[in-house]
Amino acid sequence: MDRRTVLKGLAGVGSLAATGGLSMPALSQGAAARTLKFVPQANLANFDPIWGTQYVVRNAAALVWDTLYGLDATLQPQRQMVESEEVSDDGLVWTFKLRSGLKFHDGEPVLSKDVVASLTRWSARDPMGLMLKAIQNELTAVDDRTFKWALKAPYPKMLLALGKNSTPIAFIMPERIAQTDPFKQIPEYIGSGPMKFAKSEWVPGAKAVFEKFADYTPRQEKASWLAGGKQMLVDRIEWVVIPDPATAAAALQNGEVDWWESPITDLVPSLKKNKNIEVDIADPLGNIGSFRMNHLHPPFNDVKVRRAVLTALSQEDYMRALVGDDTALWKPLPGFFTPDTPLYTEEGGEILKGKRDLAAAKKLLAESSYSGQPVTCVVAQDQPITKAQGDVTADLLKQMGMNVDFVATDWGTVGSRRAQKTPPGQGGWGMFHTWHAGADCVNPAVYNAVRGTGDKAWFGWPTSATVEKEVTAWFEAKNLDEEKAAVKRLNKAALEDVVYAPTGFFLSYTAWRKNVSGIAKGPLPFFWGVSKTA
Amino acid sequence: MVPVPPGLVIAPQLPDLLVPVAIRRGVLGFLRNHPTVAIGGALLLCLVLIGIFAPWLGTVDPTALAPAKRTRLPSADYWFGTDLLGRDIYSRVLYGARVSLTVGLSVAVLSSIAGLAIGLVSGFVRWADSILMRFMDGLMSIPPILLAVALMALTRASVGNVILAITIAEIPRVSRLVRSVVLSLREQPYVDAATASGTRTPMVILRHILPNTLAPMLVQATYICASAMIVESILSFIGAGTPPTIPSWGNIMAEGRALWQVKPYIVFFPAAFLSVTVLAVNLLGDGLRDALDPRMAKSL
Amino acid sequence: MLSYILRRILSTLPVMGIVALFVFSLLYIAPGDPAAVIAGDQASPADVERIRQGLGLDRPFLVQFGTWVWNILHGDLGTSIFTNMPVSAMIAQRVEPTLSLMAITLVLTILVAVPLGVAAAWKAGSWVDRTIMAFAVFAFSLPVFVVGYVLAYVFALQFEWLPVQGYTPFKSGVWPWLRNLILPALALGSVYIALIARITRASMLEVLQQDYVRTARAKGLGQRNILFVHALKNAAVPIVTVIGIGIALLIGGAVVTESVFAIPGLGRLTIDAILRRDYPVIQGIVLLFSFLYVLVNLMVDVTYTLVDPRIRY
Repeated sequence: MDRRTVLKGLAGVGSLAATGGLSMPALSQGAAARTLKFVPQANLANFDPIWGTQYVVRNAAALVWDTLYGLDATLQPQRQMVESEEVSDDGLVWTFKLRSGLKFHDGEPVLSKDVVASLTRWSARDPMGLMLKAIQNELTAVDDRTFKWALKAPYPKMLLALGKNSTPIAFIMPERIAQTDPFKQIPEYIGSGPMKFAKSEWVPGAKAVFEKFADYTPRQEKASWLAGGKQMLVDRIEWVVIPDPATAAAALQNGEVDWWESPITDLVPSLKKNKNIEVDIADPLGNIGSFRMNHLHPPFNDVKVRRAVLTALSQEDYMRALVGDDTALWKPLPGFFTPDTPLYTEEGGEILKGKRDLAAAKKLLAESSYSGQPVTCVVAQDQPITKAQGDVTADLLKQMGMNVDFVATDWGTVGSRRAQKTPPGQGGWGMFHTWHAGADCVNPAVYNAVRGTGDKAWFGWPTSATVEKEVTAWFEAKNLDEEKAAVKRLNKAALEDVVYAPTGFFLSYTAWRKNVSGIAKGPLPFFWGVSKTA
Repeated sequence: MVPVPPGLVIAPQLPDLLVPVAIRRGVLGFLRNHPTVAIGGALLLCLVLIGIFAPWLGTVDPTALAPAKRTRLPSADYWFGTDLLGRDIYSRVLYGARVSLTVGLSVAVLSSIAGLAIGLVSGFVRWADSILMRFMDGLMSIPPILLAVALMALTRASVGNVILAITIAEIPRVSRLVRSVVLSLREQPYVDAATASGTRTPMVILRHILPNTLAPMLVQATYICASAMIVESILSFIGAGTPPTIPSWGNIMAEGRALWQVKPYIVFFPAAFLSVTVLAVNLLGDGLRDALDPRMAKSL
Repeated sequence: MLSYILRRILSTLPVMGIVALFVFSLLYIAPGDPAAVIAGDQASPADVERIRQGLGLDRPFLVQFGTWVWNILHGDLGTSIFTNMPVSAMIAQRVEPTLSLMAITLVLTILVAVPLGVAAAWKAGSWVDRTIMAFAVFAFSLPVFVVGYVLAYVFALQFEWLPVQGYTPFKSGVWPWLRNLILPALALGSVYIALIARITRASMLEVLQQDYVRTARAKGLGQRNILFVHALKNAAVPIVTVIGIGIALLIGGAVVTESVFAIPGLGRLTIDAILRRDYPVIQGIVLLFSFLYVLVNLMVDVTYTLVDPRIRY
């Protein structure tokens, strides 16, 4: 076979390809309508929702495992796997009865011993779970469908703990899997939820496949967030990881994917113009941006410096940098709790309201102990939210006259560096950026970032005795009015001590093709009730 | 005309495969002889001047944020439009020339020096040769992008680290080149003669080896410069390049990449400048190569 | 010949050993902690420490390195910190897309670049030559992702001839597999095509000046015969060399192309692993790449013997 023949042959094939058959081989209409292709917010790199607490892992896990209770759209925990519960008069013993007919994906029934093992593993990692563990007498299975949790002190927020949607969620796994050390990954993914995880088709970081579990018995009530009947209307869900937003937008426009979890706001106008695509707010609970300061070392160990930053900080600048010109997407946030929720308050938030006063900020700075030390800003470049905030911060601090030491790095490095308590010059940090899902900031229960327990607190280690007092008050509150009062005082104290600087409240969109219906707003993407026509 | 004896057939004139070239002399003559050197050099000079005189070319502070004015289209106020944080792209692109040119030229110079040293040692000191070349092989087998990303992940992002990372990736090429020149020249009779008549090795290197390495090294250096500028832009694209507080073409493109469908100008202008610069450097390199020794074209 | 190949393979072992040590040390001193990323935002420092212990990351350097080398010699490339899957399984999943992309790019490049270079050399000095060389230099100057975006925009979005992203495995059919690879291969290959075209032209130019080509013309042989049968074979050695060196370029460009076109290949895996500090994956892949590079260069050397009978080992 000489060169010429080979070349001729290849040219022939090439021209054939160029003229004919360039359109996609048509899948049978039926098959396509039963598969939903979804672009998640991030890589799904691992799949143990207790061990790895990233949001994307939680979202995938919600398909595969079920919970005892589930938060509904009114933020109230509703029964899910539990048929009935009872609490003793002194509030110390909780007895729960499971629904009948619950099965795992391998066909085994869900029994109390599985629940006990799952809750034990969960409570080793979850903040509320740890509180329960601290006051626990015993957690045992009474019979196959009944289990009880005996405590040394009352815990009124028990149902909230078991049904909350902030990570880690109290998923129910088979006993043998739940007996894995909570600091190691589970080896298999047998679940109790409406979809099975197709491990053989999983390409971590690229694709994850879920298939309908035929023996799942949903509840009768209407689905609302994590509560109610989880009816699956598609047979197969494929999570397609597309890291490049422009590519994801093009794929959605082309019909190569059906639902994009988090389109970036600048691309939304062109998506809205496309007659095949719907765009709407993803989660009314939104997100809160955070400028997290290190209270252990100068300059932010001085409350005057922290307050100077609050005085000069323009939440509008931060929010516009994050979500662009669409004013429907952000709100100023003179406090720490999610807007449009029962406990939202602006108490003490005057410092963040109104026109920004750079002169006053500089004056405050001059009165403080700041003497020109560099502020080590550790900013992750691979997360658009932190990157945008970091750019605005560098400018803000410069304008205030502070010395900026900008460390541009990646999220992984931020994760490890922020844990260092050493001074900034020796591998520590001065400030970093992050954000919190609004769903995690509706009350102090799981809101680690607002706590002031000093050395034991979240990164930044703020100390505020008043905040802690009010958190305890909230936990002990008997009704909503008492809770509100406690949170108001908490907010004021947190702003006075500047536990951290909130950079604003922002929402994000989600986008899907018009032939998909049933997509509901919520803190995570809910796949039950979602159907697709060809 | 020579009278042709009858019966004799004169062979037909075969056309030459190469067109004859007019002889031109002097520097201007050199430039006219080799227009690619002229064009490439002129373009490059233009861009260097743009980079140096950026503050006086109608620019504003390239890092000044104005989030209220983000992603504006090119207009009379913002010649190239504004980026995602409201910064003026025209200013960022002009200042960005500094970074890209600095990275390109530094990498070219540093890798040439290091490669020269390693290549010379490798060529002359036999026992070091295999060790060094194994090491260079190892270095070459790691794809440069990955090496650069790994090195950047080690430390913080800064222009210096970018230069270091790309230089390390480019050294093997230069060292192999120098080594091959040294090896081929070492066997030449005149070098032998020089050594036999008592010239010390350093003088041998200086007098005989170096002049012969200069030409290919110069050409190689221009290609390295071009490649370094593109690698810097790719590194910034992945997010492991120049820190965001410093405008560089790669950074501007990386930040605008998600919006290229709706606001293509954010990527277009730095891409155009980068392409023109790399083009200029490549033309310069091609021209020099053709001028100095066309045979090099086979290997570079 | 066989002994030559064996000797070459043996001599690559120290190279790979050096690469392995280099990479391992780099990662060991790198800041950034996979345990912190895994633990997530809500974890306490004590939690992070326990995770780190569970992963074996708190043992001394030599112990970790020794364990790793020992495992490799037994065919065990380790387990990913994040996904808990064996590294070899993860690599196996991602190898096909990357290799397909590189193979198609290589084939496309040779098919396009060699004829272009030959044409340019044949018509040296004419407008054909100048256009081709101008195009080559231009293609050489564009960053890969810009080319990728433009191609995707024009051919996938506007004309809707080809898909924007994704990868279809070979076993789903040859045409679906090719469909997803055409645009990425064009983007990735643009630089490569320019390079090969230039080298081909230069090499052919030199060969065309040789006496035996004159003789062939004098004998009356046709153009195509001279070009492809006589000249190209002799010009092939430098071309094949550059193809070999270019593999490293391809791998680097593949990273970006995979990111732009969402191809689940090794390039993306590596970048993700580096940014997450998934050490076992990074080490496994870099070792694999260096092995590939060495293998390709070996094949290049063997190809020399096919192309130039004077070269014998």
